[in-house]
Amino acid sequence: MNFIGLVAGLAAFFSIWFGHVAVRKIEFNSPTIWLPTVFFVIAGITLEWFSLSTSNFLLSAALGIIGITFLWDALEFTRQQNRIKKGHSPANSQNPRHARLMREYPAVTTLDLLKRDPLGKPVSPSEAVKLIH
Amino acid sequence: MNFFGLTLGILTLLIIGLGFVWVIRGERYFGYLWWPYVMGLGILLIVVSLFVNGIWSSALLGVTGASLAWGATELKEQAVRAEIGWYPFNDKKILPPLAKIIKKWKAPHL
Repeated sequence: MNFIGLVAGLAAFFSIWFGHVAVRKIEFNSPTIWLPTVFFVIAGITLEWFSLSTSNFLLSAALGIIGITFLWDALEFTRQQNRIKKGHSPANSQNPRHARLMREYPAVTTLDLLKRDPLGKPVSPSEAVKLIH
Repeated sequence: MNFFGLTLGILTLLIIGLGFVWVIRGERYFGYLWWPYVMGLGILLIVVSLFVNGIWSSALLGVTGASLAWGATELKEQAVRAEIGWYPFNDKKILPPLAKIIKKWKAPHL
């Protein structure tokens, strides 16, 4: 049995999952996005450095994949903020940065329009709001 | 220096990037009800990777399988995005076998 694919697959799946949840949570609550961005860049580079330093291929694979996803997550803080501006992700009125976006961008909403099952047909903006209540 | 992990990480990022494309296109033309088949294929690729000898072929099978399994959990949300009008909506979808049964299941979303 060759476990490299399993290890690489698990590292990929769980780091995507972690990043997906963490980026949304941190961007929702953090007053700045530069601080988490810098933190994820440093964490990503550190993980890559360990990946380059180990002679163990299983460890190198897992650290290499997790490190690159952290570097991508660093970019995702900006992409997530752009989703907030477009109203594609819910804003947090308690977060001063989001409160500012709410004043500057008319599309910003605190509603999560994706929190429902598909209907199988297109819906109007007002229906989309009703469907999540 | 062992460049295996870094190179694999970059290739993984590209494979996940393909996920953006196939989740959007796949949902548009086939619909989110294909999710159990996509997830099954992803898990199958990871199982196959256990029996492949090469480190590169096994690792790439593993991350491709993981990316398919993750994409399967994204299909439902993508279907809602298309219904809201954030992406083009297509009502002539090619439904999967057993679509009626799958519709009764709760589609995963992580």
